[in-house]
Amino acid sequence: MANITLLTRDGARFEFPCAQSDYILDAAAAANLYLPAICHEGTCGACHAHVGQGHFALGQIGDGMLADGPSGGVLLCRCRPESDLVIDVPYPQADVHHQQIPRREATIVSLKPAGSSDMEVTLALTPDPALGTAADFTPGQYMEVWIPGTTICRAYSMANLPNWDGQLEFVIRLHKGGAFSTYLAERARPGDHLRVRGPLGRFMLDETSARPRCLIGGGCGLGPILSMLRHLADLQDTQPTTLIFAANREDELFDTKAIRELQSALPKLTVMITVWHPQGSWSGLTGTAADAFAATLDKAVELPDVYVCGPPALLESVKAVAKARGLSPERIFTEQVQPG
Amino acid sequence: MFCFQCEQTRRTEAGSGCTGPKGVCGKDEVTADLQDLLIYQLKGIGQYRTRLGALGRPDREADSIVLFDLFATLTNVNFDHNRFVALIAEAAKVRDRLRAAYEAACLAAGKTPELLNGPASFVPADTLPGLLAQAGAHGVGAGVEKVGADVVGLRGLLLFGLKGTAAYTHHAQVFGVMPDAVTDGIAHALDFLAGDPTDLNVMLDEALALGHCNFAAMEALDAANTGTFGTPAPTPVRITPIAGKAILVSGHDLRDLGAILEATKDTGINVYTHGELLPAHGYPKLRAHPHLAGNFGGAWQNQHNDFAAFPGPIVMTSNCMIEPQPTYRNRMFTSGPAGWPGLRHIDSGDFRLVVKAAHALPGFAASEPERTIAAGFGHHAVLGVADKVVEAVKSGALSHFFLIGGCDGATPGRNYYTEFAEAVPKDSMILTLGCAKYRFHEQEFGTVAGLPRLLDCGQCNDAYSALVIAKALAEAFKCGVNELPLSLIISWFEQKAVAVFLSLLALGVRNVRLGPTLPAFLTPALLDVLIQRFGVLPITTADADLKAALQRQAA
Repeated sequence: MANITLLTRDGARFEFPCAQSDYILDAAAAANLYLPAICHEGTCGACHAHVGQGHFALGQIGDGMLADGPSGGVLLCRCRPESDLVIDVPYPQADVHHQQIPRREATIVSLKPAGSSDMEVTLALTPDPALGTAADFTPGQYMEVWIPGTTICRAYSMANLPNWDGQLEFVIRLHKGGAFSTYLAERARPGDHLRVRGPLGRFMLDETSARPRCLIGGGCGLGPILSMLRHLADLQDTQPTTLIFAANREDELFDTKAIRELQSALPKLTVMITVWHPQGSWSGLTGTAADAFAATLDKAVELPDVYVCGPPALLESVKAVAKARGLSPERIFTEQVQPG
Repeated sequence: MFCFQCEQTRRTEAGSGCTGPKGVCGKDEVTADLQDLLIYQLKGIGQYRTRLGALGRPDREADSIVLFDLFATLTNVNFDHNRFVALIAEAAKVRDRLRAAYEAACLAAGKTPELLNGPASFVPADTLPGLLAQAGAHGVGAGVEKVGADVVGLRGLLLFGLKGTAAYTHHAQVFGVMPDAVTDGIAHALDFLAGDPTDLNVMLDEALALGHCNFAAMEALDAANTGTFGTPAPTPVRITPIAGKAILVSGHDLRDLGAILEATKDTGINVYTHGELLPAHGYPKLRAHPHLAGNFGGAWQNQHNDFAAFPGPIVMTSNCMIEPQPTYRNRMFTSGPAGWPGLRHIDSGDFRLVVKAAHALPGFAASEPERTIAAGFGHHAVLGVADKVVEAVKSGALSHFFLIGGCDGATPGRNYYTEFAEAVPKDSMILTLGCAKYRFHEQEFGTVAGLPRLLDCGQCNDAYSALVIAKALAEAFKCGVNELPLSLIISWFEQKAVAVFLSLLALGVRNVRLGPTLPAFLTPALLDVLIQRFGVLPITTADADLKAALQRQAA
């Protein structure tokens, strides 16, 4: 049995035992320490850490996940100890949860198309004696959702507000051949029971910031952005906010009615809907999310906090614009849409 | 940002006071600067309101707004910069209205209106960056290089005392009790501060006047509370949970607690008090609700753990709030002057959403064995047994009274109050008020001369009760309050304690022991004045102070 010492970014220290046959992430959970992690299979990078002292063995890890492998970079979900280890983790103590992330049962309430490529999925959490009925999450967070009867799970961000009725709404991109996409497109029916786990994730508004905000959603990445905007509307927020909703084609756009409603609830909300490759008589903005973002920054009196959710290429292009305009990386909050 | 209004303010070799980007309390620079600007505007309102009052035209609506705005700037009340942007815009409109009313009133009286400068003519910017640029010149430390730290410190003492008085008056005002004498006094103090006073003696006199004003405010609040909910009577308060759905109400606002009890009538939801709402259990009309189940948790500084462990919604009705943890953020609500960015705020007195949250959240799965503490020893209850008390003192069975009151806090030095309470001789009685009692109130203190040895008078504003008791005892013994075998051990944290402190000075109560640390705004010179003129004593050790207190009585 090896002794594992975790050092958080803010200097907290956690110790727990780990057998040489166990992954460190699982051993931490066994010690009631729930560390940031999503996929648990070496592909998402959320449990990335750095071993400062000791020897370890790594299991199978996705290509390109560990550029810093030679200098001690590891994914804790695929790392087994071969001696006592001292590990630096890149997050603060507050991100180490001491209770298990809730696992719940849920039922599909409705399945509706959202534009040509996405589906709006509404779930109702099953009341639980220990957890109640509430859908308790922070706008921007996600849940893990399992395909019924399988061990396959995917992570989807909520598009609605946390609520006391136990409702969870997701906008999910239907990918050809994707496991969850195939389930949704071919087999899912209202009344289906699903297992879910969450809330998870750190993509959240910094509401203490007094800067203007720019919220960017690419495709189904609009989901958590809508949740954030609904939250701001609910609180009658008065900070200047820009929403950029970017789609590849105009028929992929969805929830434009909800966006109009948000505009009337948030007097300081500017909306930019942009289409990269218009197919028909699209008369709105043309270009990528990054183009619209650059245009926003050109007009900005004060640099905003940026919240962006979308596919990897969109995140990278937005970050490149931000970097070129001198935005501090600390003011850019990102969430990557996972392929479904 | 510069703020030194509370006990926990940052103290370094370079000087005391919190500076940006964030204060010790969690208040960020933007919010702190906007609060400074709002205070500056309120001084302008005070300028016109005082003159309108002199013309027999006070403005009660403006008075209410001033109370609320001052309250919002207390420590641990409102951290939401958006709220202050809105309050600043509102204050500008109020000031304009008062100016127009003042000019019209002068015209009607055949007088020439004064041309008022400074805050009276201040125009706030219409953007946040603009407001922040304006705020720099109007902080609490403004002018220190010109007038010196003593003047700035004494202005601080006045302003912070004023905030405390405004908080108490706001609590009374929500029940429709707002004496003109108090609001006139508050407007006068704002007007006085608007003139950037520099004469220390004049300022000290103003501080004492404010102390009297605060006594009247506490008296009004006592009348409002007892008038609405009946006269507090001693009662056991359960401090262990009962199985079932639950709501936790924190802060000081009895009206909101009453509204929540009404909203949860016959719903099966239990309502628990937290912190400074513990004394609510003493009021008959609140206690009459069978679902007012008990008190949950300790003093305010432990709320991260207490709130995380509470399985229902939490309503914070005033101070003391600290940054809500993610584990309970979504089930925490603010009301009245309280606020935190991103938390849902209830302004209307409509708590249906909180009830809905309570139904949705799990509540307590099981009851814990019953444990209780006693509360509700207001002046009526204590004076009801005054004969017994006087007799016990005369017979020698009861030798000394210790009032241990004020705020609790997180600093290690606060163990002093526990040690002090534990060391008090068995033939002495301890009166408590405020949340300092959370340090020791679960201990068994037994009885003295057939009376409980520890009597909790209530919230910090119930210092009024303690003073009424002291005055009545002084009358019974035909002596002054300072001749009584009474020692006051005051623990301060925020501005209401400053207001109570000024009331004690104004009423001539000497030998008040003040701790755990002295206010950062009191310079050595100011402290010297307080020691010389009012006999104020900084705390030392529990042992030494107790000995000194008992010797003073013997002497």
